[in-house]
Amino acid sequence: MDPVIQLKNVSYRYPVGDEQVLKNVSLDIGRGKLVTIVGNNSAGKTTLCNLIRGFIPHFYKGDLEGSVLVDGEEIADAQLGQLAEKIGYVFQNPFIQISGVKETVFDEVAFGLENLGVPVDDIRRRVEDVLQLVKIDNLRNKNPFELSGGQRQRVALASIIVMDPDILVIDEPSSQLDPVGTEQVFDIIRLMKERGKTIVLVEHKMDLIAEYADELIVLADGEVKLHGPVREVFADPSYMALGIQYPHAAALALDLQEKGMELPFLPIRDEEVAECLARARRKEGRP
Amino acid sequence: MATNAIRALHPMTKFTFALFVTAAVIAVPSYLFAYAMFAALLVIAAAAGVLREFFAFVLKTLVVLLIIVFLMQLLFYPGDDIIGGWWVFTLTQEGLAYGLLLTSRILAIGSAFILFFRITEVKDFVKALENMGLPPAGAYVVLSTLQIIPEMRRQSNVIMDAQKTRGVETEGSVLVRAKAFLPTLTPLILSAIASTEERAITLESRAFSAPVNKTSLHTLERRPIDTGLIALFTIGAVALIVWRVAVWIL
Repeated sequence: MDPVIQLKNVSYRYPVGDEQVLKNVSLDIGRGKLVTIVGNNSAGKTTLCNLIRGFIPHFYKGDLEGSVLVDGEEIADAQLGQLAEKIGYVFQNPFIQISGVKETVFDEVAFGLENLGVPVDDIRRRVEDVLQLVKIDNLRNKNPFELSGGQRQRVALASIIVMDPDILVIDEPSSQLDPVGTEQVFDIIRLMKERGKTIVLVEHKMDLIAEYADELIVLADGEVKLHGPVREVFADPSYMALGIQYPHAAALALDLQEKGMELPFLPIRDEEVAECLARARRKEGRP
Repeated sequence: MATNAIRALHPMTKFTFALFVTAAVIAVPSYLFAYAMFAALLVIAAAAGVLREFFAFVLKTLVVLLIIVFLMQLLFYPGDDIIGGWWVFTLTQEGLAYGLLLTSRILAIGSAFILFFRITEVKDFVKALENMGLPPAGAYVVLSTLQIIPEMRRQSNVIMDAQKTRGVETEGSVLVRAKAFLPTLTPLILSAIASTEERAITLESRAFSAPVNKTSLHTLERRPIDTGLIALFTIGAVALIVWRVAVWIL
């Protein structure tokens, strides 16, 4: 594995907090992987995102121990503004993720590139491409303040993607969106994965995780409890004790197992359930 | 984009003109001149196609002020040349003259700047200031304030509705409205403060503090006519001031 993000024995306490939010976290995240972070409230998910993006320690002070390396470079030594080119960051609230100085979606998306000093002709070309890619070309002349939550979240994603960072940190992008908005956002995430981006995603919707993610990191009380390929983590017996949801398919399968039915594997996606049950039947010797 | 010849001028050209008007009416001690300036501003406003808005705005903002200032000068300015009396006040020729001069100057200067903001987009003006060396953070503060005001109004309506559902009375007499002020204003201010942190993170996510020279899709065109007009207004203003000082000293 070629780790692009490495955390080594990281502990962190917010300036006004008494307790450590992250405790001795060590992680390697491989290049091109879509890694999802799950965990209950106050498990430290957002803090972990802030750490990877460098907002800790550059923006939030507090006590940080251990080291965070991105592309082999210590994040604490990097310049916060320049990190935008390397690591894109999109967070939960779509309503605040607007620069507030641009009158059209086109200009809003261009804002990051202007700040990076990209030549104007390149900006126009790249913004055009991203508007097509994210399918918000129809919004290009609208005022960002007049968009719905789902539209704003897509504009926020476009504004980050346009800077073409290798790594995307996306913190609960769908928490305030309806199913259609969620699907649109995940379409974009899938596209980014196909383009070879490394994606760190915080998400609660387990079915989406089962469908899209490569790896799963389970956080609880600021510690990494489990980390591995999605299927293995869901199949791990200790996962159940953490009180975090399963994908529907896995929950159903576990119920069946509890009732005494033997299953050949743990299905995590809806479409795997039929295959799993069919194989189970064959194994029992029935046609 | 502005197709009107006057509105298409560079913001600094328009700004220099407003400064020129200011210098001119202060330099020339004649209310007729200052009122003529106002007439000229009306003509320019008409040419720029903003006469109606311009005139309405002047009426709304300046006229009450002018009447008060004029009456104050008329009633209280000391002088010997008595032209009339009313109740305990004596009206003097000096008071009348000074009242006319002062109000004509306020009118000319005030309306020059009102006209400036009528025919200049704020984002153009801020861009011009940025080109002259205003730091991007300063420009951001000015522009974001303008955009955030309507957003906050929207949010205050949401909060008002939320408080109504909790039984806070927001309609009725002045007293009732005043009572509703606190429960609506407090959440508005608190949420605005809370969102600054996320706003800062948004800006950093967009490389706002990247240590490079920013580029801009929005550029201002500075044509020869702008350079010419700025030179003309500057020379005109300086000439008038020099003339005034010369008359005053000699």
